Amino acid sequence: MDQERIGREGFVFEGNWRAYAPIAFTNLLLTIVTLGIYRFWATTRTRRYLWANTRFIDDQLEWTGTGKELFLGFLMVLVLIGGPFLFLQFGAQALILQGHAGIAGLLGLASVVTIFYMVGVARFRALRYRLSRTWWHGIRGGSDNQGFGYGVSYIWKSFVGTLAAGLMIPWSLMSLWNERWNKMSFGPHSFEAAGDHGPTFKRFLLFYLLPILLLIGGTMVAMMRTPEAGSAGPQMAGAILGVIAFVLAFYLGLGLIALAFYAKFFREAVDGLSLAGLNFHFYARTKDWLLLFLGDIALVICTLGIGAIFLQYRHWKFFATHMGATGEIYTDELTQSHTKTSRHGEGLLDALDVGAF
Amino acid sequence: MSDFRFWHYDGVTAVRRGVLLRRSGDGFLLEEPESGWTGAPVHWSDLTVIGAEGGRSAYGHSAIPGWRMGFSGEAPTEIAAHLPKGERYGRWIDRFGLWPAAGVFTVVAALVVWGALEAPAAIAPLVPLAWENRMGDSMVGDFGGRFCHTPTGDAALRALVEQIDPDHEAREIALANIPMVNAVTLPGGRIILFDGLIQQASSPDEVAGVLGHELGHVRHRDTMTGLIRQLGLSAVLGGAGGDAGGYLNGVLALSYGREAEAAADGVAIDQMRRASISPAATSTFFERLGGKQEGAEARAMTWLSSHPLSTDRRRRFAAAVRPGGGYRPALSQADWKALRASCAADPKVAKFWGRPF
Repeated sequence: MDQERIGREGFVFEGNWRAYAPIAFTNLLLTIVTLGIYRFWATTRTRRYLWANTRFIDDQLEWTGTGKELFLGFLMVLVLIGGPFLFLQFGAQALILQGHAGIAGLLGLASVVTIFYMVGVARFRALRYRLSRTWWHGIRGGSDNQGFGYGVSYIWKSFVGTLAAGLMIPWSLMSLWNERWNKMSFGPHSFEAAGDHGPTFKRFLLFYLLPILLLIGGTMVAMMRTPEAGSAGPQMAGAILGVIAFVLAFYLGLGLIALAFYAKFFREAVDGLSLAGLNFHFYARTKDWLLLFLGDIALVICTLGIGAIFLQYRHWKFFATHMGATGEIYTDELTQSHTKTSRHGEGLLDALDVGAF
Repeated sequence: MSDFRFWHYDGVTAVRRGVLLRRSGDGFLLEEPESGWTGAPVHWSDLTVIGAEGGRSAYGHSAIPGWRMGFSGEAPTEIAAHLPKGERYGRWIDRFGLWPAAGVFTVVAALVVWGALEAPAAIAPLVPLAWENRMGDSMVGDFGGRFCHTPTGDAALRALVEQIDPDHEAREIALANIPMVNAVTLPGGRIILFDGLIQQASSPDEVAGVLGHELGHVRHRDTMTGLIRQLGLSAVLGGAGGDAGGYLNGVLALSYGREAEAAADGVAIDQMRRASISPAATSTFFERLGGKQEGAEARAMTWLSSHPLSTDRRRRFAAAVRPGGGYRPALSQADWKALRASCAADPKVAKFWGRPF
């Protein structure tokens, strides 16, 4: 008994945007009239809805975070990052003007490193916060790790990622993902993350291939055009059009490659993730991500920006419908988590993140 | 006893139970008839609301994390009467209702924005001058060695200052080797004329007009007002803008608003009248700058971006000219030459592009 066998349909999203709309619109109204302060309570209401409409196997998830926690997290970020940052900004300006450029440079470097470290710690703690406020079957997740060590890894792994013309970036990203998740738990079980960056590497190489391909293509087009030399005017216009097309192709190509890489990366990362007898999977392919973002853009443009209040909903739905779990879980062995919970939320990071884990 | 079934998690394991509720004293017991399981007694007042979504209601226990009971549809009335009511928008807003709360927030928000815009002008005069002076000194220092000094140039500048600022309201008036058509007032009563302005001006009267205008900013402490406004706004808007860009650049780009500019123009006209300098040249100076506004040089004319030219302003200077006013030039021909040559002739002065700010 108490054993749940599950197939691909481990996660099911049961919400619909019409039911969410009253939440979204009142959130927008209250956020505007409070000059943005309500944002934290708005996020909480949205998450309550999204979690409660996401079923894992036989029961819905539950979000128990509060707006106050997120607000406290925001204030902490203001003090911890904003305070020193402003001080260094002011101080560095004054120092340079008074001719102490060396000290100003050192202080500036220190401030950059400190802020980078804080961002790493914040990423870790945001995940920890979200797991600790996510309940299923009356059990929650969390971590006893404070994330200070992760901040150090974040600095050096990001730095190593930039070596060798950025070829180490896939390793750096995956290694940080694994490190983060390996310190998380749900109930008594630890997550195990063994994502492999190798399979993502081919797509990453496309970043290097694109400029070469474009250069060859551009040269060929230019060579084909040169013989039919007419008057200078149309030729100039043609050249300008060519340059515009080149730049467009470059950025479009870059965006598509980034999407393809990210889609593969996320699949690999989630596929490497397991919890006790459960293996997680993510099924979204590049095409799905592309449709998601094109849909986002169309939604926002067609509604003159108001549709932006539905983005969080769309992203969560995308995440939940493409998420899957295989294996088995024994509910009688899934006992309560004893990890510590912090009193504050995830600070500014919820504004940067695409919503999911 | 009702046979209404609740679902229940005890918060210790993830095992789901289907339970009946048996009332006892001020609370109840949960019992699972099939297994003979009975939970610990619970007071009605221990119950907290977890959420009501999609026809499902869930309640928690204030002392036992993860303890849950819930049901689908409507609870029997004798039980429903004891269940706590959930929050919707947040406790404070629920108390007043959405629309009254939104109304109150709107009024408060309007007051805050108005205060942020109006308060600086009231606060600035209360800041002790000594603080402002120290702040200005630490910001500027020796301006990166960019101040131009030659014996004749200094004497010429002193002669000009003696006429426009006979009471020495400005603590320091200096000429900087920066090829921008600009003049700035910095905290602590410091006025800096840029060499580009001197070169662009075709007579000392024009420089006198600009100097008089900047003196107006010193007299009214507009820089302090602008700084406080910038700081205050960035605090109100949650740090937005407070972290961006250089502090000094911020000061350079400060605009004080139309009223402050008009008041500063008034000071310029007064000071010129006292010194018997004709405001006519300043009027044509504006006209000349205005004409070039669209040209390639416009980018260099920083003074224009913070001092938007209007025909009103030009006319005001033109109207201040008294026919037969017994005007004399602001500087002798020799002094004017010395002032214009000052930056080029100073061998020690730092180049504008030579050193970082």
